[in-house]
Amino acid sequence: MEKKYWNPYFGGVVLGTMLFLVFAIASQGFGASGTFSRATAQLLVNSDKSWLDNAYIASYFRHGGSALNNWTVIETIGILFGGFVSALLAGRLMIRPDKSPDYPVAKRFLWAFIGGMIIEFSTRLTRGCTSGQGLDGMATFSVGTWIFMFAVFGSALIFSPLFRKQWVGGEKKEGGE
Amino acid sequence: MDFILPLYKNALISPEANMFFAVVMGFAFGFVLERTGFTRSQYIADTFYFRSLAVPKIMGVTVITATTWFIIFAWMGWIDLSALFTPKTYVWPYLFGGMLFGLGMVMSGYCPGTAVAGLGTGKSDALVFLLGLFGGAFLYFLLYPMIADFASSSNLGVLKLHDLFGGNEYISYILTVLLESGIIGFLVLLQKLTNKGEK
Repeated sequence: MEKKYWNPYFGGVVLGTMLFLVFAIASQGFGASGTFSRATAQLLVNSDKSWLDNAYIASYFRHGGSALNNWTVIETIGILFGGFVSALLAGRLMIRPDKSPDYPVAKRFLWAFIGGMIIEFSTRLTRGCTSGQGLDGMATFSVGTWIFMFAVFGSALIFSPLFRKQWVGGEKKEGGE
Repeated sequence: MDFILPLYKNALISPEANMFFAVVMGFAFGFVLERTGFTRSQYIADTFYFRSLAVPKIMGVTVITATTWFIIFAWMGWIDLSALFTPKTYVWPYLFGGMLFGLGMVMSGYCPGTAVAGLGTGKSDALVFLLGLFGGAFLYFLLYPMIADFASSSNLGVLKLHDLFGGNEYISYILTVLLESGIIGFLVLLQKLTNKGEK
């Protein structure tokens, strides 16, 4: 049987204490978006060295060695296993897409892919995602992070009607009361 | 004064130990993301339809908790807050990039971190999302020569809340707690007023 999710306030206290610990030890916070940018750069350079002419890609190889020899990349591997072990222990490990029940899987995958592209592109402009820019920046009192957070949630609210069917489903079930 | 924390910047742990620590803390992060429901795209998206306020509640309390520890440790003289990595402020790139991010977030229901943990729990849409991240990075590299100037424009450097008002980190801390608790309180009130029937 599935366990219930943690109370959000309790979850916040646990996560906040972890965020403090990670800063206190590693001098930096959580992150994830950089991992995928670095992995993409590494794949491109492996396939063709001329990609190093790209100034953005080159910045990952400044210190020589691999673009993947990076704190956030290693931490991201930990995130994967943490999610796996927690789901396993909670009885929530299951291969399935997440969406409202009646929504077609193919469309769900299409939005997941395009959304992923948009997000990684935008994190290059914003120097991080909701972890590496959002949580880390708010915890270190950064003004820019608040600009980022209001833009993210404001924009998501504005665009939310377009994706209502995917998440909430139709307003009324056909043949319902 | 000699600070002890952060350990890595003060060379009190080796780079190897720091990398080991990265796996451990990443694991803990992924574990908590799953425990709080953040590995489910639909649960995240519920935020934008006022069906759940778990996301702003957790983010807000996380920031309040972390900064409270910071302020206590700084007050005791144990941690050098200026040594913590702080993102620089690029006004227009953050505003535009953030709006783009918000569109991607309501479209996909994930952020990079939650999708990695989500993949660990078996979510197939998280895997597709993660493949999309590679595509987005590729697109950025291709367009970089054209957008490099915009990406580094309006750079205000490391700018903290108290730099706007004068004062020290204590001012930033008070502002942060007020902002976070204000946002949570406002949303809870709004949810009560707008959809009494829904959970």
